[in-house]
Amino acid sequence: MTETTSVGTEFPFGPVSPDDAVEHMKRLLADRPMTKVTMPHGGDLWVVHRNRAAKEVLADPRFVREPFRTGERVVPFPVPFPDFLRTTLQFEDPPQHTKLRKLVQKAISPRRVREMRSSAVAFANELIDRMLARDGVHNLVAEYAVPLPIEMLSSLLGVPSSDREKFERWSSSSMSVAGASDSSAADMAELAAYMTDLIAKRREEPRDDLLSSLAHAREKDETLTDAEILPIAFILIVGGFDNTANFITTAVRSLLRSDEQRALFLTDPDGLAPTAAEEVLRHGGFETGNPVGAGGGLVPFVAKEDVLVDGQLIAAGEAVAIDPVSTNHDPATFEEPGRFDITRKDNPHLMLSHGLHHCLGAPLARMELQVGMSEIFKRIPGLRLAGEAEARSDVLTQPMTGLPVTW
Amino acid sequence: MPKVFYTQPDGSERVVEAAAGDSVMQTAVRNGVAGIVGQCGGVLSCATCHVFLAEENAGDFPPVGEDEDEMLDCAATEREDNSRLSCQLVLDDGREVHVTVPEAQL
Ligand code: FES
Repeated sequence: MTETTSVGTEFPFGPVSPDDAVEHMKRLLADRPMTKVTMPHGGDLWVVHRNRAAKEVLADPRFVREPFRTGERVVPFPVPFPDFLRTTLQFEDPPQHTKLRKLVQKAISPRRVREMRSSAVAFANELIDRMLARDGVHNLVAEYAVPLPIEMLSSLLGVPSSDREKFERWSSSSMSVAGASDSSAADMAELAAYMTDLIAKRREEPRDDLLSSLAHAREKDETLTDAEILPIAFILIVGGFDNTANFITTAVRSLLRSDEQRALFLTDPDGLAPTAAEEVLRHGGFETGNPVGAGGGLVPFVAKEDVLVDGQLIAAGEAVAIDPVSTNHDPATFEEPGRFDITRKDNPHLMLSHGLHHCLGAPLARMELQVGMSEIFKRIPGLRLAGEAEARSDVLTQPMTGLPVTW
Repeated sequence: MPKVFYTQPDGSERVVEAAAGDSVMQTAVRNGVAGIVGQCGGVLSCATCHVFLAEENAGDFPPVGEDEDEMLDCAATEREDNSRLSCQLVLDDGREVHVTVPEAQL
Protein backbone atom coordinates (compact mmCIF):
# COMPACT_ATOMS: atom_id res chain seq x y z
CA MET A 1 0.00 0.00 0.00
CA THR A 2 2.64 2.53 -1.00
CA GLU A 3 0.40 4.23 -3.59
CA THR A 4 -1.89 5.82 -1.06
CA THR A 5 0.31 8.85 -0.47
CA SER A 6 0.46 9.84 -4.11
CA VAL A 7 -3.26 10.04 -4.83
CA GLY A 8 -4.15 12.49 -7.57
CA THR A 9 -7.50 13.87 -8.59
CA GLU A 10 -8.98 10.76 -10.16
CA PHE A 11 -12.50 9.66 -9.44
CA PRO A 12 -13.64 7.10 -8.50
CA PHE A 13 -10.76 6.30 -6.18
CA GLY A 14 -10.14 3.11 -4.29
CA PRO A 15 -10.10 2.69 -0.52
CA VAL A 16 -7.43 4.78 1.22
CA SER A 17 -7.04 5.93 4.81
CA PRO A 18 -9.63 8.52 5.86
CA ASP A 19 -6.94 11.23 6.06
CA ASP A 20 -5.71 10.46 2.56
CA ALA A 21 -9.31 10.47 1.33
CA VAL A 22 -9.84 13.98 2.72
CA GLU A 23 -6.65 15.18 0.98
CA HIS A 24 -7.61 13.47 -2.27
CA MET A 25 -11.02 15.09 -2.25
CA LYS A 26 -9.48 18.48 -1.57
CA ARG A 27 -7.47 18.22 -4.79
CA LEU A 28 -10.45 16.82 -6.67
CA LEU A 29 -12.74 19.64 -5.52
CA ALA A 30 -10.18 22.27 -6.47
CA ASP A 31 -9.86 20.69 -9.90
CA ARG A 32 -13.51 20.42 -11.01
CA PRO A 33 -17.11 20.53 -9.78
CA MET A 34 -18.04 17.09 -11.11
CA THR A 35 -16.66 14.04 -12.88
CA LYS A 36 -18.21 11.94 -15.62
CA VAL A 37 -18.00 8.27 -14.75
CA THR A 38 -19.29 5.14 -16.42
CA MET A 39 -21.34 3.08 -14.01
CA PRO A 40 -21.24 -0.72 -14.11
CA HIS A 41 -24.98 -0.50 -14.85
CA GLY A 42 -26.86 2.15 -16.83
CA GLY A 43 -23.94 3.91 -18.51
CA ASP A 44 -22.54 7.41 -18.02
CA LEU A 45 -23.23 9.64 -15.05
CA TRP A 46 -22.04 13.06 -13.89
CA VAL A 47 -21.10 12.74 -10.22
CA VAL A 48 -21.16 16.15 -8.50
CA HIS A 49 -18.47 16.78 -5.87
CA ARG A 50 -18.81 20.40 -4.85
CA ASN A 51 -21.32 21.17 -2.12
CA ARG A 52 -22.78 24.32 -3.69
CA ALA A 53 -23.04 22.80 -7.15
CA ALA A 54 -24.78 19.80 -5.61
CA LYS A 55 -27.36 21.99 -3.92
CA GLU A 56 -27.95 23.80 -7.19
CA VAL A 57 -28.67 20.50 -8.91
CA LEU A 58 -30.94 19.27 -6.12
CA ALA A 59 -32.96 22.48 -6.14
CA ASP A 60 -33.36 22.69 -9.94
CA PRO A 61 -36.64 21.30 -11.33
CA ARG A 62 -35.00 20.75 -14.71
CA PHE A 63 -33.44 17.60 -13.25
CA VAL A 64 -36.10 14.89 -13.21
CA ARG A 65 -36.51 11.17 -12.60
CA GLU A 66 -39.24 10.31 -15.06
CA PRO A 67 -37.09 8.42 -17.61
CA PHE A 68 -36.06 6.01 -14.82
CA ARG A 69 -39.60 5.48 -13.60
CA THR A 70 -40.96 4.69 -17.04
CA GLY A 71 -38.08 2.36 -17.77
CA GLU A 72 -37.03 4.43 -20.77
CA ARG A 73 -33.59 4.56 -19.17
CA VAL A 74 -31.62 2.26 -16.91
CA VAL A 75 -30.57 3.90 -13.62
CA PRO A 76 -26.78 4.42 -13.71
CA PHE A 77 -25.69 2.74 -10.50
CA PRO A 78 -22.87 0.60 -9.08
CA VAL A 79 -25.26 -2.39 -8.83
CA PRO A 80 -28.49 -3.23 -10.68
CA PHE A 81 -30.95 -0.78 -9.19
CA PRO A 82 -33.60 -2.58 -7.11
CA ASP A 83 -36.77 -2.63 -9.19
CA PHE A 84 -39.28 -1.92 -6.51
CA LEU A 85 -37.48 1.30 -5.54
CA ARG A 86 -38.33 2.73 -8.93
CA THR A 87 -42.00 2.76 -8.00
CA THR A 88 -41.54 4.91 -4.91
CA LEU A 89 -41.92 8.62 -4.31
CA GLN A 90 -38.23 9.02 -5.06
CA PHE A 91 -39.02 8.54 -8.73
CA GLU A 92 -42.07 10.74 -9.05
CA ASP A 93 -41.77 14.29 -10.33
CA PRO A 94 -44.20 17.15 -9.62
CA PRO A 95 -47.19 17.44 -9.60
CA GLN A 96 -47.88 13.82 -8.55
CA HIS A 97 -44.83 13.90 -6.32
CA THR A 98 -46.03 17.04 -4.57
CA LYS A 99 -49.40 15.56 -3.73
CA LEU A 100 -48.08 12.30 -2.27
CA ARG A 101 -45.19 13.91 -0.55
CA LYS A 102 -47.30 16.48 1.24
CA LEU A 103 -49.58 13.85 2.68
CA VAL A 104 -46.72 11.86 4.14
CA GLN A 105 -44.73 14.88 5.18
CA LYS A 106 -47.49 16.02 7.48
CA ALA A 107 -47.38 12.71 9.29
CA ILE A 108 -43.60 12.88 9.80
CA SER A 109 -43.43 16.62 10.31
CA PRO A 110 -41.03 18.24 12.76
CA ARG A 111 -44.03 18.88 15.00
CA ARG A 112 -45.21 15.27 15.00
CA VAL A 113 -41.67 14.03 15.60
CA ARG A 114 -41.23 16.28 18.61
CA GLU A 115 -44.31 14.68 20.08
CA MET A 116 -42.74 11.26 19.53
CA ARG A 117 -39.50 12.18 21.27
CA SER A 118 -40.46 11.24 24.81
CA SER A 119 -41.59 7.78 23.73
CA ALA A 120 -38.28 7.33 21.89
CA VAL A 121 -36.41 8.26 25.07
CA ALA A 122 -38.52 5.83 27.10
CA PHE A 123 -37.99 2.99 24.64
CA ALA A 124 -34.23 3.63 24.37
CA ASN A 125 -34.04 3.36 28.16
CA GLU A 126 -35.99 0.09 28.15
CA LEU A 127 -33.43 -1.31 25.71
CA ILE A 128 -30.58 -0.05 27.88
CA ASP A 129 -32.17 -1.62 30.99
CA ARG A 130 -32.21 -4.94 29.17
CA MET A 131 -28.54 -4.57 28.23
CA LEU A 132 -27.55 -3.63 31.77
CA ALA A 133 -29.30 -6.69 33.16
CA ARG A 134 -26.45 -8.83 31.90
CA ASP A 135 -22.69 -8.24 32.13
CA GLY A 136 -20.26 -9.10 29.37
CA VAL A 137 -20.11 -8.27 25.69
CA HIS A 138 -23.24 -7.00 23.91
CA ASN A 139 -24.09 -6.49 20.27
CA LEU A 140 -25.05 -2.84 20.06
CA VAL A 141 -26.65 -3.23 16.63
CA ALA A 142 -29.04 -6.03 17.50
CA GLU A 143 -29.78 -4.92 21.05
CA TYR A 144 -30.10 -1.18 20.53
CA ALA A 145 -29.52 0.43 17.12
CA VAL A 146 -32.00 -1.74 15.20
CA PRO A 147 -34.87 -2.13 17.72
CA LEU A 148 -35.14 1.62 18.37
CA PRO A 149 -36.01 2.74 14.82
CA ILE A 150 -38.18 -0.33 14.28
CA GLU A 151 -40.24 0.54 17.32
CA MET A 152 -40.62 4.19 16.32
CA LEU A 153 -41.49 3.56 12.71
CA SER A 154 -43.86 0.73 13.51
CA SER A 155 -45.80 2.89 15.90
CA LEU A 156 -45.84 5.73 13.37
CA LEU A 157 -47.09 3.42 10.61
CA GLY A 158 -49.42 1.52 12.89
CA VAL A 159 -47.82 -1.93 12.68
CA PRO A 160 -48.82 -4.19 15.61
CA SER A 161 -45.91 -4.84 17.99
CA SER A 162 -46.27 -8.58 17.60
CA ASP A 163 -45.35 -8.29 13.90
CA ARG A 164 -42.33 -6.09 14.32
CA GLU A 165 -39.78 -8.88 14.11
CA LYS A 166 -40.86 -9.72 10.59
CA PHE A 167 -40.09 -6.19 9.56
CA GLU A 168 -36.47 -6.51 10.40
CA ARG A 169 -36.14 -9.35 7.90
CA TRP A 170 -38.25 -7.67 5.24
CA SER A 171 -36.39 -4.44 5.55
CA SER A 172 -32.98 -5.96 4.94
CA SER A 173 -34.33 -8.19 2.16
CA SER A 174 -35.66 -5.17 0.34
CA MET A 175 -32.15 -3.81 0.03
CA SER A 176 -30.53 -7.06 -1.04
CA VAL A 177 -28.33 -6.72 -4.05
CA ALA A 178 -30.08 -8.53 -6.89
CA GLY A 179 -29.26 -12.19 -6.97
CA ALA A 180 -27.59 -12.14 -3.57
CA SER A 181 -30.44 -13.84 -1.85
CA ASP A 182 -33.07 -16.20 -3.24
CA SER A 183 -35.46 -15.44 -0.46
CA SER A 184 -35.56 -11.70 -1.04
CA ALA A 185 -38.21 -11.75 -3.76
CA ALA A 186 -40.40 -13.95 -1.61
CA ASP A 187 -39.86 -11.64 1.35
CA MET A 188 -40.85 -8.62 -0.70
CA ALA A 189 -44.04 -10.32 -1.84
CA GLU A 190 -44.79 -11.21 1.76
CA LEU A 191 -44.26 -7.62 2.84
CA ALA A 192 -46.55 -6.32 0.07
CA ALA A 193 -49.29 -8.78 1.03
CA TYR A 194 -48.93 -7.90 4.69
CA MET A 195 -49.14 -4.16 4.05
CA THR A 196 -52.10 -4.50 1.66
CA ASP A 197 -53.94 -6.39 4.34
CA LEU A 198 -53.08 -3.82 6.99
CA ILE A 199 -54.18 -0.94 4.72
CA ALA A 200 -57.55 -2.68 4.22
CA LYS A 201 -57.95 -2.99 7.99
CA ARG A 202 -57.15 0.67 8.53
CA ARG A 203 -59.60 1.69 5.81
CA GLU A 204 -62.31 -0.06 7.77
CA GLU A 205 -61.20 0.94 11.22
CA PRO A 206 -58.97 3.97 11.20
CA ARG A 207 -56.60 4.61 14.09
CA ASP A 208 -54.24 7.41 14.95
CA ASP A 209 -51.41 6.30 12.66
CA LEU A 210 -49.87 7.05 9.29
CA LEU A 211 -51.46 4.19 7.34
CA SER A 212 -54.89 5.24 8.57
CA SER A 213 -54.37 8.83 7.57
CA LEU A 214 -53.06 7.83 4.13
CA ALA A 215 -55.97 5.44 3.65
CA HIS A 216 -58.36 8.22 4.53
CA ALA A 217 -56.53 11.11 2.95
CA ARG A 218 -58.76 13.26 0.88
CA GLU A 219 -56.78 15.82 -0.98
CA LYS A 220 -59.28 17.85 -2.90
CA ASP A 221 -61.60 14.90 -3.33
CA GLU A 222 -58.94 12.44 -4.24
CA THR A 223 -58.34 9.37 -2.16
CA LEU A 224 -55.11 7.46 -2.32
CA THR A 225 -55.29 3.96 -3.77
CA ASP A 226 -53.48 0.96 -2.33
CA ALA A 227 -51.12 1.18 -5.27
CA GLU A 228 -50.17 4.67 -4.15
CA ILE A 229 -49.92 3.90 -0.44
CA LEU A 230 -47.86 0.73 -0.75
CA PRO A 231 -44.72 2.31 -2.23
CA ILE A 232 -44.84 5.03 0.42
CA ALA A 233 -44.90 2.41 3.14
CA PHE A 234 -42.03 0.61 1.39
CA ILE A 235 -39.76 3.60 1.19
CA LEU A 236 -40.40 4.41 4.84
CA ILE A 237 -39.59 0.89 5.90
CA VAL A 238 -36.44 0.73 3.85
CA GLY A 239 -35.16 4.15 4.84
CA GLY A 240 -36.54 4.11 8.32
CA PHE A 241 -35.12 0.89 9.67
CA ASP A 242 -31.88 0.24 7.97
CA ASN A 243 -30.42 3.68 7.49
CA THR A 244 -31.34 4.97 10.91
CA ALA A 245 -29.90 1.89 12.60
CA ASN A 246 -26.69 2.46 10.67
CA PHE A 247 -26.57 6.12 11.71
CA ILE A 248 -26.98 5.21 15.39
CA THR A 249 -24.30 2.53 15.18
CA THR A 250 -21.93 4.90 13.39
CA ALA A 251 -22.57 7.57 16.03
CA VAL A 252 -21.70 5.29 18.94
CA ARG A 253 -18.77 3.73 17.13
CA SER A 254 -17.21 7.02 16.09
CA LEU A 255 -17.53 8.44 19.60
CA LEU A 256 -16.04 5.28 21.10
CA ARG A 257 -13.04 5.69 18.80
CA SER A 258 -12.42 9.33 19.61
CA ASP A 259 -11.50 9.78 23.28
CA GLU A 260 -11.39 13.53 22.91
CA GLN A 261 -14.82 13.96 21.30
CA ARG A 262 -16.39 11.37 23.61
CA ALA A 263 -15.09 13.18 26.71
CA LEU A 264 -16.58 16.37 25.32
CA PHE A 265 -19.90 14.69 24.52
CA LEU A 266 -20.13 13.24 28.03
CA THR A 267 -20.05 16.74 29.53
CA ASP A 268 -23.53 17.44 28.11
CA PRO A 269 -25.05 14.65 25.98
CA ASP A 270 -28.49 16.25 25.60
CA GLY A 271 -27.11 19.69 24.81
CA LEU A 272 -24.54 18.42 22.30
CA ALA A 273 -26.70 15.76 20.62
CA PRO A 274 -28.12 18.07 17.91
CA THR A 275 -24.76 19.23 16.55
CA ALA A 276 -23.12 15.86 17.21
CA ALA A 277 -25.82 14.09 15.20
CA GLU A 278 -25.21 16.36 12.20
CA GLU A 279 -21.46 15.79 12.44
CA VAL A 280 -21.98 12.02 12.55
CA LEU A 281 -24.12 12.26 9.43
CA ARG A 282 -21.48 14.36 7.67
CA HIS A 283 -18.31 12.65 8.74
CA GLY A 284 -18.98 9.76 11.17
CA GLY A 285 -18.09 7.12 8.60
CA PHE A 286 -14.55 8.51 8.43
CA GLU A 287 -14.06 8.15 12.17
CA THR A 288 -14.82 4.46 12.29
CA GLY A 289 -11.32 3.77 11.02
CA ASN A 290 -12.34 1.89 7.87
CA PRO A 291 -10.59 2.82 4.62
CA VAL A 292 -12.62 5.26 2.53
CA GLY A 293 -13.17 5.00 -1.19
CA ALA A 294 -15.48 6.96 -3.41
CA GLY A 295 -17.26 6.09 -6.58
CA GLY A 296 -20.95 6.19 -6.02
CA GLY A 297 -23.62 8.77 -5.71
CA LEU A 298 -27.15 9.18 -4.48
CA VAL A 299 -30.06 8.23 -6.74
CA PRO A 300 -29.50 10.02 -10.10
CA PHE A 301 -31.59 12.52 -12.06
CA VAL A 302 -31.80 13.18 -15.81
CA ALA A 303 -31.43 16.68 -17.28
CA LYS A 304 -34.60 17.71 -19.14
CA GLU A 305 -32.67 20.35 -21.03
CA ASP A 306 -29.10 21.68 -21.17
CA VAL A 307 -28.14 23.05 -17.75
CA LEU A 308 -24.95 24.85 -16.81
CA VAL A 309 -23.83 24.06 -13.26
CA ASP A 310 -20.70 25.66 -11.80
CA GLY A 311 -19.27 26.14 -15.29
CA GLN A 312 -19.95 22.59 -16.43
CA LEU A 313 -22.56 21.87 -19.08
CA ILE A 314 -24.88 18.99 -18.27
CA ALA A 315 -26.51 18.24 -21.61
CA ALA A 316 -30.16 17.35 -22.07
CA GLY A 317 -30.62 13.62 -21.47
CA GLU A 318 -27.47 13.20 -19.39
CA ALA A 319 -27.70 11.67 -15.93
CA VAL A 320 -26.36 13.38 -12.81
CA ALA A 321 -26.01 12.35 -9.16
CA ILE A 322 -24.64 13.85 -5.96
CA ASP A 323 -21.63 12.28 -4.28
CA PRO A 324 -22.33 12.69 -0.56
CA VAL A 325 -18.77 11.82 0.47
CA SER A 326 -17.03 14.65 -1.35
CA THR A 327 -19.86 17.20 -1.01
CA ASN A 328 -19.65 16.66 2.76
CA HIS A 329 -15.89 17.33 2.73
CA ASP A 330 -15.78 20.41 0.53
CA PRO A 331 -13.31 22.90 2.07
CA ALA A 332 -15.24 25.76 0.41
CA THR A 333 -18.20 24.87 2.64
CA PHE A 334 -16.69 23.16 5.69
CA GLU A 335 -13.83 24.50 7.75
CA GLU A 336 -11.28 21.72 8.29
CA PRO A 337 -13.48 19.07 6.65
CA GLY A 338 -11.29 16.25 7.94
CA ARG A 339 -11.86 17.18 11.59
CA PHE A 340 -14.50 15.34 13.62
CA ASP A 341 -16.07 18.18 15.58
CA ILE A 342 -19.32 17.45 17.42
CA THR A 343 -19.82 21.15 18.14
CA ARG A 344 -19.68 22.17 14.44
CA LYS A 345 -22.39 24.79 13.97
CA ASP A 346 -22.57 25.47 10.27
CA ASN A 347 -23.01 21.98 8.88
CA PRO A 348 -24.95 21.91 5.58
CA HIS A 349 -24.07 18.27 4.78
CA LEU A 350 -26.05 16.40 2.15
CA MET A 351 -26.34 13.03 3.83
CA LEU A 352 -30.13 13.38 3.93
CA SER A 353 -30.08 15.13 0.55
CA HIS A 354 -31.73 18.47 -0.09
CA GLY A 355 -34.52 19.91 -2.19
CA LEU A 356 -37.62 18.24 -3.54
CA HIS A 357 -36.41 14.72 -2.86
CA HIS A 358 -34.72 15.25 0.49
CA CYS A 359 -35.09 12.38 2.92
CA LEU A 360 -38.76 12.05 3.75
CA GLY A 361 -38.01 10.80 7.22
CA ALA A 362 -35.29 13.38 7.95
CA PRO A 363 -36.95 14.80 11.09
CA LEU A 364 -37.54 11.30 12.44
CA ALA A 365 -34.05 10.05 11.58
CA ARG A 366 -32.48 13.08 13.27
CA MET A 367 -34.56 12.72 16.40
CA GLU A 368 -33.79 9.00 16.71
CA LEU A 369 -30.11 9.58 16.15
CA GLN A 370 -29.99 12.31 18.81
CA VAL A 371 -31.95 10.26 21.32
CA GLY A 372 -30.04 7.08 20.48
CA MET A 373 -26.62 8.62 21.08
CA SER A 374 -27.42 10.70 24.14
CA GLU A 375 -29.37 8.07 26.12
CA ILE A 376 -26.77 5.35 25.83
CA PHE A 377 -23.90 7.60 26.89
CA LYS A 378 -25.91 9.09 29.74
CA ARG A 379 -26.73 5.67 31.14
CA ILE A 380 -23.44 3.92 30.31
CA PRO A 381 -20.70 6.57 30.28
CA GLY A 382 -18.08 3.81 30.54
CA LEU A 383 -19.20 2.17 27.28
CA ARG A 384 -16.29 0.81 25.21
CA LEU A 385 -15.61 -1.28 22.11
CA ALA A 386 -15.07 -4.99 22.64
CA GLY A 387 -14.15 -6.04 19.11
CA GLU A 388 -14.48 -5.21 15.44
CA ALA A 389 -17.68 -4.18 13.69
CA GLU A 390 -19.28 -6.55 11.20
CA ALA A 391 -21.15 -5.48 8.09
CA ARG A 392 -23.19 -7.25 5.41
CA SER A 393 -21.87 -6.80 1.93
CA ASP A 394 -24.76 -8.50 0.13
CA VAL A 395 -27.08 -5.62 0.94
CA LEU A 396 -27.13 -2.33 -0.96
CA THR A 397 -26.59 -0.14 2.09
CA GLN A 398 -23.95 -2.49 3.57
CA PRO A 399 -25.46 -2.22 7.03
CA MET A 400 -23.46 -3.01 10.13
CA THR A 401 -24.80 -6.15 11.73
CA GLY A 402 -22.54 -6.33 14.72
CA LEU A 403 -20.74 -3.93 17.02
CA PRO A 404 -19.43 -5.65 20.17
CA VAL A 405 -19.48 -3.31 23.17
CA THR A 406 -19.04 -3.66 26.90
CA TRP A 407 -18.55 -1.44 29.97
CA MET B 1 -29.09 45.42 -2.08
CA PRO B 2 -31.62 43.88 0.32
CA LYS B 3 -30.62 43.29 3.93
CA VAL B 4 -31.92 40.72 6.39
CA PHE B 5 -31.65 41.09 10.16
CA TYR B 6 -31.81 37.68 11.84
CA THR B 7 -32.48 37.63 15.59
CA GLN B 8 -31.71 34.37 17.41
CA PRO B 9 -33.83 33.08 20.31
CA ASP B 10 -31.10 34.31 22.71
CA GLY B 11 -31.52 37.87 21.40
CA SER B 12 -28.30 38.08 19.37
CA GLU B 13 -28.67 39.63 15.94
CA ARG B 14 -26.91 39.13 12.63
CA VAL B 15 -27.25 41.31 9.56
CA VAL B 16 -26.70 39.78 6.16
CA GLU B 17 -26.58 41.49 2.78
CA ALA B 18 -28.75 39.54 0.37
CA ALA B 19 -29.21 39.36 -3.37
CA ALA B 20 -32.49 40.63 -4.83
CA GLY B 21 -34.65 37.67 -5.85
CA ASP B 22 -33.26 35.40 -3.14
CA SER B 23 -35.50 34.34 -0.29
CA VAL B 24 -34.90 34.96 3.40
CA MET B 25 -34.28 31.18 3.69
CA GLN B 26 -31.72 31.06 0.86
CA THR B 27 -29.93 34.07 2.28
CA ALA B 28 -29.69 32.38 5.68
CA VAL B 29 -28.53 29.03 4.31
CA ARG B 30 -25.92 30.62 2.01
CA ASN B 31 -24.51 32.66 4.86
CA GLY B 32 -24.64 29.98 7.52
CA VAL B 33 -27.19 31.74 9.74
CA ALA B 34 -27.96 29.31 12.56
CA GLY B 35 -31.46 27.98 13.09
CA ILE B 36 -32.75 28.01 9.51
CA VAL B 37 -32.39 24.59 7.90
CA GLY B 38 -34.35 24.82 4.65
CA GLN B 39 -34.02 21.12 3.98
CA CYS B 40 -36.45 20.99 1.06
CA GLY B 41 -34.74 23.84 -0.77
CA GLY B 42 -37.84 26.03 -0.74
CA VAL B 43 -40.58 23.81 -2.17
CA LEU B 44 -42.82 23.98 0.90
CA SER B 45 -42.34 20.43 2.01
CA CYS B 46 -40.19 20.59 5.15
CA ALA B 47 -41.26 23.45 7.45
CA THR B 48 -37.65 23.83 8.64
CA CYS B 49 -37.39 27.47 7.54
CA HIS B 50 -39.94 28.84 10.03
CA VAL B 51 -39.40 32.46 11.19
CA PHE B 52 -41.35 35.18 12.95
CA LEU B 53 -41.65 38.21 10.69
CA ALA B 54 -41.37 41.66 12.26
CA GLU B 55 -44.57 43.70 12.39
CA GLU B 56 -43.10 46.47 10.25
CA ASN B 57 -42.42 44.01 7.39
CA ALA B 58 -45.84 42.39 7.45
CA GLY B 59 -47.01 44.28 4.38
CA ASP B 60 -43.81 43.72 2.37
CA PHE B 61 -44.68 40.22 1.20
CA PRO B 62 -47.70 38.46 -0.28
CA PRO B 63 -49.90 36.94 2.45
CA VAL B 64 -49.53 33.35 3.62
CA GLY B 65 -50.67 31.01 0.83
CA GLU B 66 -52.71 27.85 1.25
CA ASP B 67 -49.73 25.46 1.06
CA GLU B 68 -47.62 27.62 3.33
CA ASP B 69 -50.47 27.71 5.83
CA GLU B 70 -50.67 23.91 5.91
CA MET B 71 -46.92 23.51 6.31
CA LEU B 72 -46.78 26.09 9.11
CA ASP B 73 -48.95 23.72 11.13
CA CYS B 74 -46.14 21.16 10.80
CA ALA B 75 -43.39 23.39 12.19
CA ALA B 76 -41.51 22.23 15.27
CA THR B 77 -42.10 25.49 17.14
CA GLU B 78 -45.73 26.48 17.71
CA ARG B 79 -46.83 28.99 15.05
CA GLU B 80 -47.91 32.50 15.89
CA ASP B 81 -49.77 35.21 14.01
CA ASN B 82 -46.54 36.51 12.47
CA SER B 83 -45.17 33.06 11.55
CA ARG B 84 -43.87 32.63 8.00
CA LEU B 85 -41.91 30.05 6.08
CA SER B 86 -38.88 32.05 5.05
CA CYS B 87 -38.48 30.28 1.72
CA GLN B 88 -41.62 32.18 0.67
CA LEU B 89 -40.20 35.59 1.59
CA VAL B 90 -38.52 36.73 -1.61
CA LEU B 91 -36.44 39.88 -1.27
CA ASP B 92 -36.87 42.96 -3.45
CA ASP B 93 -33.99 45.29 -4.09
CA GLY B 94 -33.39 47.71 -1.23
CA ARG B 95 -35.69 45.91 1.19
CA GLU B 96 -34.69 45.66 4.88
CA VAL B 97 -36.33 42.75 6.64
CA HIS B 98 -36.30 41.74 10.31
CA VAL B 99 -37.03 38.17 11.33
CA THR B 100 -36.69 36.16 14.53
CA VAL B 101 -35.55 32.54 14.40
CA PRO B 102 -37.68 30.14 16.50
CA GLU B 103 -36.42 27.96 19.35
CA ALA B 104 -36.37 24.79 17.20
CA GLN B 105 -36.80 23.74 13.56
CA LEU B 106 -36.45 20.00 14.02
S1 FES C 1 -37.42 25.43 2.91
FE1 FES C 1 -38.76 23.77 3.15
S2 FES C 1 -40.62 24.72 3.60
FE2 FES C 1 -39.28 26.38 3.35
